[in-house]
Amino acid sequence: MAEKEIIKTVDVNLWYGEKQALFNVNMSVLAHKITALIGPSGCGKSTLIRCFNRMNDVIDRCKITGSVFFDGNDIYHPDADAVEIRKKIGMVFQKPNPFPKSIYENIAYGPRVQGNNNKKELDIIVEKSLRIAALWEEVSDRLHESAIGLSGGQQQRLCIARSLAIEPEIILMDEPCSSLDPIATAKIEDLMTTLKKKYTVIIVTHNMQQAARVSDYTAYMYLGKLIEFGKTEQIFEDPREELTDKYITGRFG
Amino acid sequence: MRTGSQGGRWFSFLKKNYREKSIKTIFFIAALFGVITIFSILIFLLKETYPLPTDIWSFLSGTTWSPTEQLKFGTYPLIVGTLLVTFGAMALAIPLSLGGALFISEIATHKLRSIIKPAIELLAGIPSVVYGFFGLIILTIWIKDFFGVPTGETWLAGSIILGIMAIPTITTVAEDAIKAVPREYKEGSLAMGATKWQTISKVVIPSALSGITAAIILGIGRAVGETMAILMVCGNAAIIPTPLWNTFSPIRTLTSTLGIETAEVPVGGPHYHGLFGVAVLLLVITLIINLSAVYLLGVIQKKHQAIGKKKKPLLPMKVVDYIKKMFTSILLIILLFMLYLTTGIFITGILVFLGLLVWYWRKKLSKRTLQRIAFSTIGGSIIIIIMLLGIILGYIIFNGMGALSWEFFTEAPRNLGRAGGISTALIGTLYLVAGAIAIALPIGVGASIYLTEYTKEGMMTKIIRTGADLLNGTPSIVFGLFGFAFFVLYLKLGFSLLAGQITLAFMIIPTILRTTEEALRCVPQSIREGSYAVGATRWQTIRRVVLPPAAPGIITGAILGIGRASGETAPIMFTAVAFSAIVPSSFFEPVNALPYHLFTIATSIPGSAARAAAGGTALVLLLLVIGFYSIAILIRNHYQKTMKW
Repeated sequence: MAEKEIIKTVDVNLWYGEKQALFNVNMSVLAHKITALIGPSGCGKSTLIRCFNRMNDVIDRCKITGSVFFDGNDIYHPDADAVEIRKKIGMVFQKPNPFPKSIYENIAYGPRVQGNNNKKELDIIVEKSLRIAALWEEVSDRLHESAIGLSGGQQQRLCIARSLAIEPEIILMDEPCSSLDPIATAKIEDLMTTLKKKYTVIIVTHNMQQAARVSDYTAYMYLGKLIEFGKTEQIFEDPREELTDKYITGRFG
Repeated sequence: MRTGSQGGRWFSFLKKNYREKSIKTIFFIAALFGVITIFSILIFLLKETYPLPTDIWSFLSGTTWSPTEQLKFGTYPLIVGTLLVTFGAMALAIPLSLGGALFISEIATHKLRSIIKPAIELLAGIPSVVYGFFGLIILTIWIKDFFGVPTGETWLAGSIILGIMAIPTITTVAEDAIKAVPREYKEGSLAMGATKWQTISKVVIPSALSGITAAIILGIGRAVGETMAILMVCGNAAIIPTPLWNTFSPIRTLTSTLGIETAEVPVGGPHYHGLFGVAVLLLVITLIINLSAVYLLGVIQKKHQAIGKKKKPLLPMKVVDYIKKMFTSILLIILLFMLYLTTGIFITGILVFLGLLVWYWRKKLSKRTLQRIAFSTIGGSIIIIIMLLGIILGYIIFNGMGALSWEFFTEAPRNLGRAGGISTALIGTLYLVAGAIAIALPIGVGASIYLTEYTKEGMMTKIIRTGADLLNGTPSIVFGLFGFAFFVLYLKLGFSLLAGQITLAFMIIPTILRTTEEALRCVPQSIREGSYAVGATRWQTIRRVVLPPAAPGIITGAILGIGRASGETAPIMFTAVAFSAIVPSSFFEPVNALPYHLFTIATSIPGSAARAAAGGTALVLLLLVIGFYSIAILIRNHYQKTMKW
């Protein structure tokens, strides 16, 4: 498969009110790869990932300049529709955020808001999404119970399944394991490796071992700037920037 | 791969966008309504004030209010009356409410709290005309007999009733402020080996101080704006008590003047304009009071959000401390003075003595003993509150039971309410309330959806929210006068069901707006983001993810609004009701209503038969309103328990 550039940012600057959170970020994300964003707290990695599906739109007083190209089209173009973009670029959040509905309805939510109310099709989508998210075995007998009763790790896989149900091209994961225990984390990491065959995965993580374990490409950010971006092995073994080296080797962060 | 930035798959000019926009516009219009209402009330009242029958200075400072015989329009005695009765009420309400708030939030066990909190909220649900009825036939008699004064309809009676009425307002707002103190502060203090009382007095109360102050100010606002209860127990002589601290003097407030005189005033004459002048004065006073409370509550919100942000203090710490100390001591002196006025030298003396004793010995007393003294004082205040509730409820129930019968509910009143039943009033109240909620619910819910879901916080939301807060604090009698001038006279609806329904709706919109907003805010932002992330539009997100979990809260707000509307007298007194009205067959006929029926037979119809009928009416009204409130409280508590995020 040819390496295809699916996301490309050009001079992205972002402000929360008076405070600038991103400075001239230029990077590319390749399709069917896992790209990790790492860096110390407050470096802007979560802010950047939220630019990719215009999730920052819902935050007050947030202003953005520059362009983010998805498949060659600027998603910040005045005519671009954030809702349509999010159908193509799904997102999984730091804390699992299932809706207070049944497991089934959580997954069916995406297809339903897009107008698919066909019971048979929804059944198929729900099962398929849960299977990919490796949750089917655990919940198949209680699909109509509330999702709030699931454990944290199960809830997070449910949220992944929910994002898969609308067949996105990219899945953004904003520290998906930060509230999970090691066993649940391992399951999610396995899942990511499966997912990249069909989807492109971008993940924010503060856990460097995790980035080293799962990602193909790594971007290191510091104080709102993209310091270094490259293949994961190169970033971890042979960082070109001193700041990256210091962070990777644990001398600050 | 596509090139260029035009024509991408997600570039849509679909109809859906227009639908989203029009939905947003609808909510925006609803939100705007609150602001427009408050300004139109102000403007319309001002318009009706002109020409004021006297110049502004003598209007404010003249010592004689005699609008018909001497044509003198001096509101000074009315202002003094309002202030005095409010002061007295606060002397009773502030200590009790703060004790109650501390007890509920810091001392009570979970189980006790789940009983006491609803009980205090029920106290808020009792209609003011029922309080007035209780004051008229019980409290004033007690005062007359106990102190041996010629009549019990006095300043003292007004202050006691008003004090009881202000307790729930102050308690609930103060409790919210105390509860908002981050748990980390308390744990930090406890971890240093401080006792619970030390933690409360040195950490919790100081951090909740602006919220507590706001609670007191809101209580004052409530007291200043109260009409019916005051009108029924204060004697209503427009005089300044001599000497000023004579608590057994009858007294007349701004609100009771409006309540008594508006119904009989010739439209367009000097008296008419004078009364609207009084309404404007009242509105301005309550606006100032409520604005300061809104400001203070804003301060706490900022304080808790801005942890970590450093800001240069406006004044040096020493000066602030000095001002605080001065403020506290002035407040203490006023409180003591009011205590003396209401309870006499003996009880005040004992309390002062005890206070000084504790103050003097506090260094020597062990931490434990101090805590015990503090907790028993707090416990004492909650016992008094519960006792007050028990006495009032018990009396109304006991006194009204005898009058209840099947006929009482199904027959129209005969012989000026002495015989027959209350069917016309009961049905009239239901008509009024149904219409009011049908108007207020869509506007209130729409406005709050706009505020929470569609706007970024800014000037616009601030104005709308402040407008709603002010509307909420506007005395109900002012709504009554506005409805009279605007709907009855200007729009020529006459005394009609419709005019009453709209006036009541105006009054309950803020209640619905506030509770809905709170319910929407309780839905975590992360759920909304989850919905956006799978490509749902804003309206889809609101309808499918935000509204369902918020529904119980919204229903609670609606029921609270219904309860409030069914107990109110002042807003319908000059817009919709007529004492002997039958069940209306159109929106343009007058109605009878329970609170008004009660008010009239309790104050204007002599004889023991009327007394008995009034007791029965009071009980029915109480049961109706308390019923609504209980349902609302039950729904809220049930979902608070089951909703977990």
